[in-house]
Amino acid sequence: MSEKIYAYLLHLYPPHFRETYGDAALQLFRDRVRDERGFFLTLRLWLDLLADLAVSIQREHRRYVQPAFAGARAQEHLGGTPSFQVLEVEPLRLRALLFGSVLSLAAFSGCSFLIDHAGRNVALTPWGAESQPGPGAARSATGLPPATPGTTNARVPAAERRRVIDAVIANLKAYYIDPDASKKIADVLLRHEERGDYTAATSGAAFADLLTRQMRGVTHDMHLDVVYSEVALPDPRPGSASEDLASYRAAMQQQNCTFGKAEVLPHNIGYLKLNSFPEPSICESVAKAAMASLNDVDAVVFDLLDNRGGDPDMVMLIAAYLFDQPEYMYNPRENMTERCWTRSPVPGNKLANKPVYVLISRRTFSGAEHFSYDLKMLKRATLVGETTGGATDVGAFHRIDDHFGMGIRETRAINPYSEPDWAVTGVEPDVKVKAEDALETAKKLAENRLLAKQANPR
Amino acid sequence: MPKRKLDPLPSAAFQILLALVDEDLHGYGIMRQVSDQTDGRMRLGPGTLYSSIRTLVEEKLIEEVDPREGAKLGQERRRYYRLTSAGRRLARSEAERLADLLRVARTRKILRGDYV
Repeated sequence: MSEKIYAYLLHLYPPHFRETYGDAALQLFRDRVRDERGFFLTLRLWLDLLADLAVSIQREHRRYVQPAFAGARAQEHLGGTPSFQVLEVEPLRLRALLFGSVLSLAAFSGCSFLIDHAGRNVALTPWGAESQPGPGAARSATGLPPATPGTTNARVPAAERRRVIDAVIANLKAYYIDPDASKKIADVLLRHEERGDYTAATSGAAFADLLTRQMRGVTHDMHLDVVYSEVALPDPRPGSASEDLASYRAAMQQQNCTFGKAEVLPHNIGYLKLNSFPEPSICESVAKAAMASLNDVDAVVFDLLDNRGGDPDMVMLIAAYLFDQPEYMYNPRENMTERCWTRSPVPGNKLANKPVYVLISRRTFSGAEHFSYDLKMLKRATLVGETTGGATDVGAFHRIDDHFGMGIRETRAINPYSEPDWAVTGVEPDVKVKAEDALETAKKLAENRLLAKQANPR
Repeated sequence: MPKRKLDPLPSAAFQILLALVDEDLHGYGIMRQVSDQTDGRMRLGPGTLYSSIRTLVEEKLIEEVDPREGAKLGQERRRYYRLTSAGRRLARSEAERLADLLRVARTRKILRGDYV
């Protein structure tokens, strides 16, 4: 009921504001109603809202009657006839007229140039020419340069498209663990290609995304993906690995191996913010120092809210501190190898029997899911926060060309737990709260547990 | 020269910039962060919040970012906002301006204490 009232009140705002932010404002209202219960808090909420309406409604209306913002609406009032409105009432100065003329000429020339060249597709697409590394690279779930939808507004030429599809099918046939699924995917992709469904993909990223969705539609295997990278994918030429390692080492040194805060909170609760699981060959000493700094705490909180994963060996290295004997940590990449056992006990370590809380969120991926999932299954940690991303990469990467590649899961490790691993569903928290509330919740849980233990030492 | 819309910077806009310094947040996240950083003294209502957000976006001080990666189909999609480098600069210069103001206030013995 109260939501309906507020929805009606939102109609007092100008239409543009409602269209752009109406839903968001309503969502914010819902969030507050959900979180602020009880007579006093509800009363405060409505007083806040009424005060807010009184101030912001007139401000928004004033904003829209100002000429500077009325230009777009003027067209509606004039039945679609283009019109101009000036921003200032003073007469135009000579300098402004000259500047305007030069700008118009430049815009006219620019349009003519584009019209002339766009039809020939010259230098507007990355296809064909060797692409130059460019800015804007993020990372995908495969840990590779990114799929960046919409960054290149160029359709993939038919020949390139076909080449990518053929390579995807060949890779699946050669490496995928399920030959029947490979065949089904091949049929689906070829059928879409024949029907011309891919001509609508407006960029390499969109094409890669479409292929990924179609493959996953057949198999529901989140470890399968096609990746598009605007930056040329690394060519596995001799020596490139050592160059990559050197860059990685430099990046890790610059970022303290992605180890964030390691501190002791009140009640002697240790807190470690870890934004990835970096390679132990480079970061072992940083990891050990961070763990040593928390050796005397009574409970540990691992903050993996922004952890995008990394190296399973680092997962094992840190997990080793949490056990007093070697423990098996299931890893979908490995089949019961020696690397799946923690090297516990760690000499001098006092954390093996201390309560552990792991903060997780929608942004928690891959190695961080490995860490959380196994500690949960082993009942060694309480997971607090949101369900994790569930799109972890356990596949090998296959480069198709400079811009396309794909990830394929090539092993099927046996999961000792009856529950599915995190590949599709993500890891469910034990205590479900919003990511931003996870730390506070974990601190409270830890405090209560420590206080209960003090009261009853047995 | 038309006057910039955020000169002087309104308190709500400054608080929103500060709220986004550490991480991208959606509207409710911003509201809560602002409430936390002002010890509950400023609770931005939806109208003020989104009106300020709109102005900050128009002035390129914050930007809307894609919904978080990993959000699955069917989950609610929220708009997240991120501080731009211009926004960070403005927040810093505003903080410095306030610090200068405080120094003056202290020299006039209006306030006590050593820290600014």
